[in-house]
Amino acid sequence: MNLEADSTTSFLRPLAAIWRASRDGTSVKDGLVGFRSRPSLRTKLWMAFLAIEVLLVSVGVIGLLSLREADQQTNHVVALQHKIEAYRQVQHDTLRQLHGVSSALAFPNETTLASALRQINQFGYGLDRVSFVEKDEVALLDQVRDEYARFIAVVSDVVDLIRNGRGADAKQRELVELGPLADKLERLTNQLVNRAEADMVAGIDASRQTYARSAILVAAVALASLILTLVLGHAISRSVIDPVHIIHHGLNRIAAGDFTQRIDVPNRDELGALAAHVNSTCEELQQLYQSLEEASRHKSQFLANMSHELRTPLNAILGFSELLLDGIYGDLPKKMRSAVERIQRNGRHLLGLINDVLDLSKIEAGQLRLSLADYSVEELVSGVYTSVESLAAEKKLSLRIAVPPGLPPARGDERRLAQALFNLVGNAIKFTDAGEVWIEVEAKKDSYVFSVRDTGPGVDEADQIKIFQEFQQVDNSITKTKAGAGLGLAIVKRIVEMHGGRIWIESRIGHGATFSFLVPARLEQQAMQT
Amino acid sequence: MSKRVLVVEDQEDNRQILRDLLECAGYEMIEAHDGEGALIAARTQSPDLILMDIQLPILDGYEATRRIKAQSDLRHIPIVVVTSYALSGDEQKARAAGCDAYVAKPYSTRKLLETINRYLT
Repeated sequence: MNLEADSTTSFLRPLAAIWRASRDGTSVKDGLVGFRSRPSLRTKLWMAFLAIEVLLVSVGVIGLLSLREADQQTNHVVALQHKIEAYRQVQHDTLRQLHGVSSALAFPNETTLASALRQINQFGYGLDRVSFVEKDEVALLDQVRDEYARFIAVVSDVVDLIRNGRGADAKQRELVELGPLADKLERLTNQLVNRAEADMVAGIDASRQTYARSAILVAAVALASLILTLVLGHAISRSVIDPVHIIHHGLNRIAAGDFTQRIDVPNRDELGALAAHVNSTCEELQQLYQSLEEASRHKSQFLANMSHELRTPLNAILGFSELLLDGIYGDLPKKMRSAVERIQRNGRHLLGLINDVLDLSKIEAGQLRLSLADYSVEELVSGVYTSVESLAAEKKLSLRIAVPPGLPPARGDERRLAQALFNLVGNAIKFTDAGEVWIEVEAKKDSYVFSVRDTGPGVDEADQIKIFQEFQQVDNSITKTKAGAGLGLAIVKRIVEMHGGRIWIESRIGHGATFSFLVPARLEQQAMQT
Repeated sequence: MSKRVLVVEDQEDNRQILRDLLECAGYEMIEAHDGEGALIAARTQSPDLILMDIQLPILDGYEATRRIKAQSDLRHIPIVVVTSYALSGDEQKARAAGCDAYVAKPYSTRKLLETINRYLT
């Protein structure tokens, strides 16, 4: 079947492509995928199913044709059977006539003669029942008819001779003419039967051959259809599955943050369009990512600059006030000293705020890297204790620590964890006007829980989530009097999360608050930032 | 004879703090306003210690530190780097440049003096 000749009809083009592909030794997939004018996946599938249906229909048609041929063969054999029967009848009838006539002539009387004549004339030979005959058989039959007519004529003559009392003449004719005629008739009818039987044997043989041929043909076409369908299915699924896989991997790469690669799908159908779309989206993402990176770089640069610009004057403020307080310029009168102390205190507060903003910005920009090392929990807590001791003493608060003795070395960013704990203790001291502040450590399996408990005003349940967000402070009359930009807890939360831990608060209004954070005892790798 | 401290600092107010601090502590102070000036002063004035600001005009503190430490006859002079950068890696960068100590700005004058005393007494 040369499909190439039909390739002007569009629906046959894919088949033509497959055919060309298989002929040229290229893979069928290339034939399907690389076919330029095939517009869509839908069409591709339609074509495949159409091809499969065409194959099914051809298998059916070939089967039906084979059946029809077999039917014709059977009819032919049946007709031959009928013919043989008819011929045998002819043969039988002929022999009976011959026999009847010869016995009538052997013992001639009026009764037997009349009966023989009647029988002879009634005998129509039933040859008309033989509806179809070969040409040579027609000649043979005509010969039988002719011979029989001659036979009848001779029998009539013989009967007439007997009736006329010329028994000897009758005998003479019977011997000379009737005998050979009868022999000839018998031979002819035998010949008819033999020929028909030979035909039938040939017919049965032909029928068998036809059956075998049909069986092979149908099986071959079915097998070819099966193979073609499989090849087609394979080609279609590859032209669909492969691009889907490629796109899937491409999307995974994009999800992993690699925007540089492009998906290469040769399809010119919906999948090709999808891949192109993914690529253009990826390109947009890449540009967006680059501009974000640039913005982030600018932000970092801005922060570094601002940090420098803010710290330079602050350095002068803190430096000179410290020199003043240290008496480098001579002793200060009491009032002046108090004023300079305020300058110093507020300068440090301002520095703390600047540091908080920078810390948070660094965390946000993903620039803060934990420097992981072994540390002693006990030393960490006592370090924090030392630095807040004076603050607690100023407010006449009792500050207690409870750390289980003999803890094994922990691993994490000691400076940042100390910063977190310092922040919580600083807050507790800031918001507690009377009573106690506890710093406690609990060793759990593979982790430590640091808790800071106070007898301060407590935090309303509704505010307990808010306080860990940036620039959030519990809005009530007590906290309004306390300084702070509300960055401390947000930073603590980030530091804890960078350690792969979590932070929480337990508190009731009027019953103090407990801030706790849990960190892994030994952190080997910085946790993903969220 | 009092020890000589080379202060490399572009801000007059900050130089004044150090002038007052070092004078009070009994050190002699030499001044440079930028990285290049620091290189010249380090060679000509033979200081006993250099207090190096990082953000300087012309040549920054890291580069000035690197160049001084690259000279065999100046390498022995201790350099204390003062930085007001807040981004991570500052200390590593300062150490990589070859400084002996690192102080973050704003500094406590008391602590700064302690650091200086450690190298000069």
